[in-house]
Order: sequence, then structure tokens, then C-alpha cells
Amino acid sequence: MTVNRRDLLKSAAAAGALSLAWPLAPGLTPAQAREAAENLGAEYDRAPFTLGVASGDPQPHSVVLWTRLAPEPLAAEQRLPEVVEVEWVVAKDARLRRVVARGKAPASATLGHSVHVPVSGLAPGRHYWYAFKALGKTSRVGRTKTAPRGRVSKVTFAAANCQAFHDGYYAAHRGIAREDVDFVVHLGDYIYEHGQVGGVPEKHVRDHDGPEILTLADYRKRHALYKGDKSLREAHAAHPWFLTWDDHEVVNDYSGTGGGAPFMRRRAAAYQAWFEHMPHRDSFGGSALPDPEIHRVRRWGDLLELAVLDLRSYRSAQNLPDGTILGAEQKAWLKKTVDRAPDAWHVWANSIMLSQLRGRPGGSYMFTDQWDGFLAERKEVLGHVHKSGLEDLVVITGDWHSAFVDDVRTDFDEPESPLVGTEFTAHSVTSGAYSAEWNAANGPLMGKANPHLKYFEGNRYGYDVYEVTPERFSAHMRVIGDRRDPRSPVSTLTTFHVDRGKAGSYEDEDTKNSPAQYRRDAA
Amino acid sequence: MNLVVNGDAESGSGGTADPVATVRGWKVAQGAPALIAYSLGGGYPTASDPGPARRGSRFFAGGNSPRTALVQDIDLPRSGPTGRRAVDAGKVRYTLAGWLGGYAGQEDGARLSVEFRDAKGTPVALSVLGPVSAADRQGRTGLLERTAEAAVPPTARSARVLLVFTRSGGGTSNDGYADALSLTLEPTGGRR
Repeated sequence: MTVNRRDLLKSAAAAGALSLAWPLAPGLTPAQAREAAENLGAEYDRAPFTLGVASGDPQPHSVVLWTRLAPEPLAAEQRLPEVVEVEWVVAKDARLRRVVARGKAPASATLGHSVHVPVSGLAPGRHYWYAFKALGKTSRVGRTKTAPRGRVSKVTFAAANCQAFHDGYYAAHRGIAREDVDFVVHLGDYIYEHGQVGGVPEKHVRDHDGPEILTLADYRKRHALYKGDKSLREAHAAHPWFLTWDDHEVVNDYSGTGGGAPFMRRRAAAYQAWFEHMPHRDSFGGSALPDPEIHRVRRWGDLLELAVLDLRSYRSAQNLPDGTILGAEQKAWLKKTVDRAPDAWHVWANSIMLSQLRGRPGGSYMFTDQWDGFLAERKEVLGHVHKSGLEDLVVITGDWHSAFVDDVRTDFDEPESPLVGTEFTAHSVTSGAYSAEWNAANGPLMGKANPHLKYFEGNRYGYDVYEVTPERFSAHMRVIGDRRDPRSPVSTLTTFHVDRGKAGSYEDEDTKNSPAQYRRDAA
Repeated sequence: MNLVVNGDAESGSGGTADPVATVRGWKVAQGAPALIAYSLGGGYPTASDPGPARRGSRFFAGGNSPRTALVQDIDLPRSGPTGRRAVDAGKVRYTLAGWLGGYAGQEDGARLSVEFRDAKGTPVALSVLGPVSAADRQGRTGLLERTAEAAVPPTARSARVLLVFTRSGGGTSNDGYADALSLTLEPTGGRR
């Protein structure tokens, strides 16, 4: 299949026809664009459920189900009635025979014909299967799982981030779909907003559907394009997801506040399209769409407390003395969450790197779009963690397109300052990392410049799987062999552990000789 | 009938460019708005600048906060030609309208949105108006009309109206402006 697709791309390129087929040339009708996309490897579910099904925000008695009706996924407007009635069903079995809940929800054109169904009355800690029906058609069957209550001996979950469509196929999501995990966390950069990159098939396996996206119609099409990778739909259909976002869901390196009217209009369009394509349960707090509220705290029994952070909506500009990455309200909420934390593992879903990162000894911060651009707030938050006596903190992070393991200290410039947690920054699903040469040269430099940095590996792509017991938190770095292969096999590159009650991580003996461009223990 | 209470900024304290702590009919969710008189002058919109034909005496502005947000929760009618039975039969449409604007070439702005919700609070429809840009206003201080209309989806029971003013760049004053905000329901013969 891979070979066929590559051959097709190559022959199309050789014939000078690539611009007509893929990238999805301007001027094609939505149907032609979809056909061209499918001829070159994209696959959609049967209409109108082309974009698949998903579930999210699992709680002990409730989960949100999602789908969107998009008979022509790459059309700006769907040829559908203004409101379509969508039936949904939840059952205890995959054949949907032992039904426990069913109902109807309206899919409105104003929300892109998406539906978000918060199903309640479910039993804690068990799998359910679900499907939708509309316009005489039935969707694929999805599987979800509710959060358990009470004593829990183990939780396993995956984290994915950064999935540039053009940079590769989603073999990582294919792997996630096949993992035996309780849930998935997406850490952001679910889509990218820029235009076409070209270079297909030599440098990129596929491309965006048009120029930089700006309007609601643009963002809808981009989300629909990304969901044209069947592995992504498979991963959504296999597990419930928790979601946060980073910058590319709107535009590179943006700050959610302070922009002018044209940007605020664009941001609202991007946020709305994100909501329309995600199994997101809006908080129903003080806000409303098109400003979805993402940050939340969820528990997986007595074992794990997950705080999902939104590091984009409320941030100020970078490098201000009084700058904020969380915003005043979310910061107060996070500190309160820390104060009220139960005795459990505490995981922060954090889209962009928390730990300090200097490029070389004595050098400046590599990127101040990450927490390095918000020094006072980082110090305040981590100081609060320390003062409150919070233990067993693990921060899971995306954005960097490379894997890092860091000790989280209250003052990164003081190597002896209190160690309050561990940060695992995961490989990206596909988004391009630095070159192998850059990684080889700079891994040791970063290690030298950042005494809290324990590990760096930037030559691979994949996702993390976290296996958590009352005694230990283990981060398994899953990597794929080749981004150009949609069925690339998954392997475990290495595993790091954190023992309960003891801040700091250590690498598993069995994998500590695996390839990496920096490893403190070996330095 | 306009379901938005005090959508014209005419009620309650205000009249100057000073922010007010409360606004009749609205919950101040963030920042603090100003309810400014068209007669105030000083560069603010006047009776002769672009704006609603019947504009009353005052308009909403963003005050001095970088982001000011006002929220109004509206219960949809239980009965009548736009009541629950009509909504569930797909026989009601809504129109969201407002005049939104800003100052001269600046990009401070106001955005008006309505989210319809079912009985559980789940969003079932959304319309967003604005913010209008300086280019939309051709660099002139004033307010422009924006409207959206759509079907009220079956199961909708409430509407949350959100009015957000955003300040761009530096300065103190948040010069997003809004006036004549309305949400109306209309019975129709059936689904379109």
C-alpha cells in the first residue's frame, strides 16, 4: 500500500500532474479534491460520518461522544439540511446489543453539523461502545471507557502531540489505537495553520489543502483534512481523549490576548473549528463558545489526578516582567488545585515545555514561547508546589518534536534548589525535528547547559505511554520506524521510572543503552 | 421581542468613560465596561458617527481592561409560537444583531456571540459577530451593524450571550464599542 502510494506520487510528479492531484489544487470541487486525496492515500469513513467518531473527558459516570456530519469533508459548506437529527446509542458490547443509553442530538450548520453528547448514568471504570445514526446511515462503532472510582491499582494512558499532516503518516496513532490504554491525552498542535509546503514526495508524504488558513471555513477544512488519516480516526474511536492545545491550532507562537480585531476574529474561528472537531466537554463555567474552557482537573480513582492546562488562551506576550502564560484565573485555579490535591500521582497536561532550556552553557533560552518566556510565573507556580508539599508531580509535555526528560526544580538556575517533579516531553507524532547532525551536536551542549536535563533524543517520532501504579510512574517512549510508512511498526525506545514519594526519575536498566543524543547518567 | 436585557446600554450607572462595576441585565465576567454617552466627545463615537439610526444616549465600551467580558443567560420561552414545542419541531429561527465598532485606525474591538444550549448546558448552536476591524470601518471611529440568523435547534432551552471587548497593543483605554444588541426569535412554518 505504501509503495503504491509512493509510486503514485512519484508518477504524478513525473507526469507534472502532482499539482493537480496533490497538493489539493485550487479550483477542484470539494468532491474532486476528496477524490484526489483518496487516490493518494487519504481515506474517509462512509458519509456522512466521514470524520469518524470520538469520545472524551471521561468521568466516573459520564463521557462525551462526538461526531460531525461532513459528506464532503473538504467542502467549506456541507450540503445538508440546516439542522440534522443525529441518533446516538451506548452499549455494553461492541455489537451494540446491550444498550444502556440512547438519545438524539441536533447537528446545526452553525456548529459545522458537529454533535457533542455528554452521556451520563454510566458505571465507573468500564468500557462502553457507541455509534451514531443520521440520514439513514450508521457510523462506525467507537469504544470508550469511564474513569474508575475508589481504589485503583493501575492506570495506563498515552500522550500524543504535534502531527503535521505533510511530515508523515500517523503510524503513531495507529500504534495508540492498538495500545491497551485507559485514555489518551493530546498535548496540542493537532493541526497546522500554514499553507502548502511542496516537496511531495521527496521531502513530504502529502500536503495541506491550500494556503494559510484564516476563516472558519478554512479551519473546518483543515481539521477535516487531518482527519483524513485513518489512523487518527482509529485512535479516536479506540479510546477516550483529554485535550489541550498549543499554538498551531490558531497560528504559530500566538498569545491569546492583546491581538487586534482581525486576529481576534481569526482566533474565534480557529477555536470554534477546534471545538467542532474534538470530543471536548465545555466546562459550562463563566464563559461560552467561541472561547472553550479547556483547563480542568480529573481523577482516575485514588491513583491519579490529571490537571489539563490551557497555555494559549490567556497568556500575555513573552518576556514581560509581569507576563503570564496561565492568566490570572487559571493560575489561581492551578494553585488551588495544588492546595487541595489528594494523595495521588499528579499529572499536568502541559502543551509546551515547563523546564528551563538553554541552548549551550552560558547561552540564552532556546525558546521563550515556552515557560522560559514567563520566568516569574514559573517560579511562583513551582514555588507554590514546593511550599504546599505536593509530591509525585509528573508533567507531560509536547511541542518540541523531540523527547526530553527533566528534573523540575523550583529554580532551574540553582541546581540544588528543591526538586519538585519530573517532566516528560514526548516525541512528536510526525512534526519534523532537528536534523540528526544538529541533535548529535546540540544534545551534549544542552545537557551541559541545563543541569536538570537528564535525557534528550530527537531522531525519532512517536508517542509516550505512561503506566502508573501506586508505587511507580513509568514513561515508555514508543517510537515508529518511518514516518513515511502509514503502518510503520512501533517499538519502545526506552523507559524512565519515577518512584512514589521520591522526586526524580531514573532510566530502566534494560534500555539505558538505547540510542540518545544526551544522557546525563552516561555523561 | 428582543430577549437581550439592556442591549442598548441605556440602563444603570455610567455615562462617562469610567468603568462601572455592574451593568443591569449583564454579568461582568471579566474586566469592567464603560457605558459611554454619545455626547461625551473626546474622540468617542458621537451621534453623527456611523452607528445605529436610533442609538439612544449611550453605548458599551471596554473600559480600561485589556479584555472585558459581559455575559447574559437567557431562558428561551416555555410556550407560545417560539416556545419549546415549536423549537423542538424545528419551527423557530433566531437573529442575533449588534452594532460593533472601534476607534479610528486602532484594532480594539467588540465581539458579540450567542450560544444556544440544551437542558444539560451542551452547546447546540453558535453565532459569532465581529469584531469589526479598522479596515471594516475604513479607519473611522464608529459602529457597524452585524447580523446572523439561523434555526434554533430542537432541544435548545437557553441562550448565553457573550459580549467581549479586546484591547490591542498598548494604551489604557479598551476602545471596543457595541450598541443595539438584540436576540430575537421568529416562528416559521417549518424547517428550511
